[in-house]
Amino acid sequence: MTHTVTAPAPEAQRKKASDRAVAENKLGMKLVAPALVVMLLVTAFPMLQALWLSLSNYALTAPDDRSFVGLQNYVTALTDPLFWRTMAVTVGIMIVTVFFELIIGFVFALVMHRVIFARGIIRTSILIPYGIITVVSGFAWQFAFSGTNGFVNLWLPFVEGNFNWFGEQFPALFAICVSEIWKTTPFMSLLLLAGLAQVSEDMIEAAKVDGATWWQRLFRVILPNMRAAIMVAILFRALDAFRIFDNIFVMTAGAVGTESVSFLTYRQVIEQFQIGMGSALSVLLFLSVLVIAFLIVKLFRVDLAAARQEG
Amino acid sequence: MGGPHPRLGRRVGAAATLVLAASTLTACGSSGKPTLNWYINPDGQATLTSLAERCSTDDYDIEIQLLPTGATDQRTQLARRLAASDSSTDLMSLDPVFVPEFASAGWLLELPEDVASAVVDDDVLAGPAETVTWEDGVYAAPQWANTQVLWYRQSLADAAGISEDLEAGTATWEQVITAASENGATVGVQADRYEAYMVWINALVQGAGGEIVSNTEAGVDAEVEIDSEAGRAAAAVVQQLADSEAAQSDLSVSREGTSLGAMFAEGSPGEFMTNWTFVYKNYEPSETNTVVTEEQFGDLAWARYPRTVEGEASKPPVGGINIGVGAFTEHQDHALEAAQCVTDPEAQLALAVTDGLMPARASVYDEQELVDAYDPTLLELFRTSVEEGGPRPKSAFYNQISGAVQSQWHSPFDVDPESTPRESAEYLREVLRGEALL
Amino acid sequence: MGNGSALRKAGIAVGALLILVWCLLPVAWIISLSFKSQESITNGSPGFFPADGGFAGWDNYVAAWENDQFRRAIFNSIGISLIATLLSVIVATLAAYAIARLEFKGKKLVLTTALAIAMFPVVSLVGPLFDLWRAIGLYDTWPGLIIPYMSFTLPLAIWTLSAFFREIPWEMEQAAQVDGATSWQAFRKVIVPLAAPGVFTAAILTFFFAWNDFVFGISLTSTEAARPIPASLSFFVGADPFNRPASLLAAGAVIATIPIIVIVLVFQRKIVAGLTSGAVKG
Repeated sequence: MTHTVTAPAPEAQRKKASDRAVAENKLGMKLVAPALVVMLLVTAFPMLQALWLSLSNYALTAPDDRSFVGLQNYVTALTDPLFWRTMAVTVGIMIVTVFFELIIGFVFALVMHRVIFARGIIRTSILIPYGIITVVSGFAWQFAFSGTNGFVNLWLPFVEGNFNWFGEQFPALFAICVSEIWKTTPFMSLLLLAGLAQVSEDMIEAAKVDGATWWQRLFRVILPNMRAAIMVAILFRALDAFRIFDNIFVMTAGAVGTESVSFLTYRQVIEQFQIGMGSALSVLLFLSVLVIAFLIVKLFRVDLAAARQEG
Repeated sequence: MGGPHPRLGRRVGAAATLVLAASTLTACGSSGKPTLNWYINPDGQATLTSLAERCSTDDYDIEIQLLPTGATDQRTQLARRLAASDSSTDLMSLDPVFVPEFASAGWLLELPEDVASAVVDDDVLAGPAETVTWEDGVYAAPQWANTQVLWYRQSLADAAGISEDLEAGTATWEQVITAASENGATVGVQADRYEAYMVWINALVQGAGGEIVSNTEAGVDAEVEIDSEAGRAAAAVVQQLADSEAAQSDLSVSREGTSLGAMFAEGSPGEFMTNWTFVYKNYEPSETNTVVTEEQFGDLAWARYPRTVEGEASKPPVGGINIGVGAFTEHQDHALEAAQCVTDPEAQLALAVTDGLMPARASVYDEQELVDAYDPTLLELFRTSVEEGGPRPKSAFYNQISGAVQSQWHSPFDVDPESTPRESAEYLREVLRGEALL
Repeated sequence: MGNGSALRKAGIAVGALLILVWCLLPVAWIISLSFKSQESITNGSPGFFPADGGFAGWDNYVAAWENDQFRRAIFNSIGISLIATLLSVIVATLAAYAIARLEFKGKKLVLTTALAIAMFPVVSLVGPLFDLWRAIGLYDTWPGLIIPYMSFTLPLAIWTLSAFFREIPWEMEQAAQVDGATSWQAFRKVIVPLAAPGVFTAAILTFFFAWNDFVFGISLTSTEAARPIPASLSFFVGADPFNRPASLLAAGAVIATIPIIVIVLVFQRKIVAGLTSGAVKG
């Protein structure tokens, strides 16, 4: 890709090549500069500002009472049971949704990989949940689970007709997870489908000739060969799930113990105008995402080069 | 490598700037006759729209901007604009509980002496008049007053044998809940995690002679009093309903609108429902409203808000809307004039007659048009409810107080007189001191 | 694949059916809900389909469309999403070209930044951004949403585009120049047609993101001046403020979903290619 000059070059030519490299370097930087500026403008600068604001006691409703409190906001947050409850709920949602998305998404990918008829229809339909607005998905499932106007209670044999899914923590979280899983499984299955396409048919055929059963082929040949795709899919979806906000906002507004860390942060900043405490939560949320990304990368040894396409 | 690409880049950059500039431009309006923006809450939209037209003059036009449904969302939207020192927020419809917070944040224009004495004269009922003052200043003009009464079906009350107590206004929550559960009926309340649940809890606590917080002028140092006999009596009512057959299945997500359907549901004896004044117009059959038949409507009855404890008069919830003028408006005089116009007796009458939003002025209750529009006993009930009702805590930190109470008392199924009042008191103190997350 | 047993074929057929039900049932539900009448919603009408006498016809669609706030929100969403998409794709194209074709310092930095931003918790930004935007007057304006949308769609756009650009046989450009074309002609006639599908895919994915965004939409706006569709739906107010207009909301949701379905129907292949090339090496 790069223009390495391999021929035995005289001095002049070598100089020309390095001039060229300098020019290329300059052009490259110029071309990426706008993207870098736009990306950092909206992330790095506000994050630094959040870091600064998180050290003060500052409510928008009482701007004159602003005072510097050091790390007090962090201490308050980290010793608060509500913070840890939201953290537990968020991690719970993340694990449950990613687990089911992975299983269902893999089944979908297998079907899509093998299916010969109606390929177009299936691929088109699978994109609809992906493209649909999360808020719409939240509403659709909220009303579906509603005892007064929904259908879930009527279709499920083991729940009573007027069961209120949003009355308690676990049923409410279940409904939220259903909406989340419904919307994002298609994305997962497409990522896995791409991974599946890379597993060579020859290898599978060879295993078959060796008398491997379907399950053996799946676990010995297919899965190990699409490890990179699976890990990247898990990483992306896990971080996405950890940031869950839309579905909770729409379906329960954080009632009955369904707040996620994102939702708690939003409520502090946007509804309570507690800019100081809210900023501390923002920083903690950001750090949590970093920690989770780090853990997933280390634990599952995700090949980030694959994600970044550095072949 | 260079070739055409840098040139392309420059062109693209220019195009981008243009598009951005164009999109900024569309945000600006045209000059000339000034337009006053009036942020309204959704109750009585149509009437408020014609009111805005009537109150527009040769000097200015009033334009309506609609706020979301919930009181908390309304506050958030307004506060965000005002925190940004927005000069286009000229007039706003404010839930009374947010007046102290907005006033102390410097977001509301203090009404000048002459305007203040005009919008809060002797004719204005004491309850609404009290809500617009903060630290000796008047910060808004009362537009209408809201209150809750107990709505029920006469046939149900007769069957349960509590009609007399209801008519006398002495029925207790316990009586009502028992009557409902023994007769296959339900009790409709508002117990979702939102402002109206706070309204219920506050009315229950006050009905038992207590307060959630007192000495609210002290701001964060207010006295938290919910951990008291009154708080426990209130929790007992919530618990009794939640545990009884009379609880509606969606109790923990119930709002003003969700229990309306249960009143005349097919094959059911109906319900007892505490709800705002709009209910009457909501059921009243008309050409456009055919949900309820004349016969069913004839069965609709009303009584004073139930008592928390026997022998102590209830404190019906009081709400309503006040009109505030934004502190950063560029058209102060116009806005003050408009605020007076949209709260004048004519405006209050129109809101009451067409939308069931009751007047804040005593004299309007005597207007013939209003007397004709309502059953006289109902009109009388509304008026006494507003007069004898109890306000929610008047604090610059009301939002935190309400949020903390809601968080500890929700879900109603988990309310326990032994623990809920105590825990909510502890939590409320911590929240006010900034030691706990909300 | 040829000698698969009947059992396997049946399994695949069942699986295919399952996918269709999974994807389309909730969509069918929200459409069905949008045809329930307001009265039946207030009185409670459980069930998948509108009950007898509870069928509203097109009433809810008419009412949703006549709602001024909703119409303005559709207009905002279309405008904001299109402008954000256009700008984001332009900026991403420049960056992706550099990443795919040039050797320069800081390439790793750009890629790492993009990766980090793709994982960024959006909510942790709304506070400071809200503060910043109201200080510089971008609060509740179109650019106030366009800029964050650009930042958060750039990573995906850059990945997708650089994956595409890597596949382009760039030698053809030189070949065309040797054949006497000017460099501009060579670029336009040879490279642009090859790069267009990739650009297009990136544009669709960017548009989806902007159309779907909720956090910025509710935090950085407060009126119809800029409020986009998802935020508007969540604040939706019907004629009767005390009743949440479930079926009206459903009608609004269906209207808001139509553009997505049209795009999916028309560009299905490109979207699949883009999604998979962006995240997985391929």
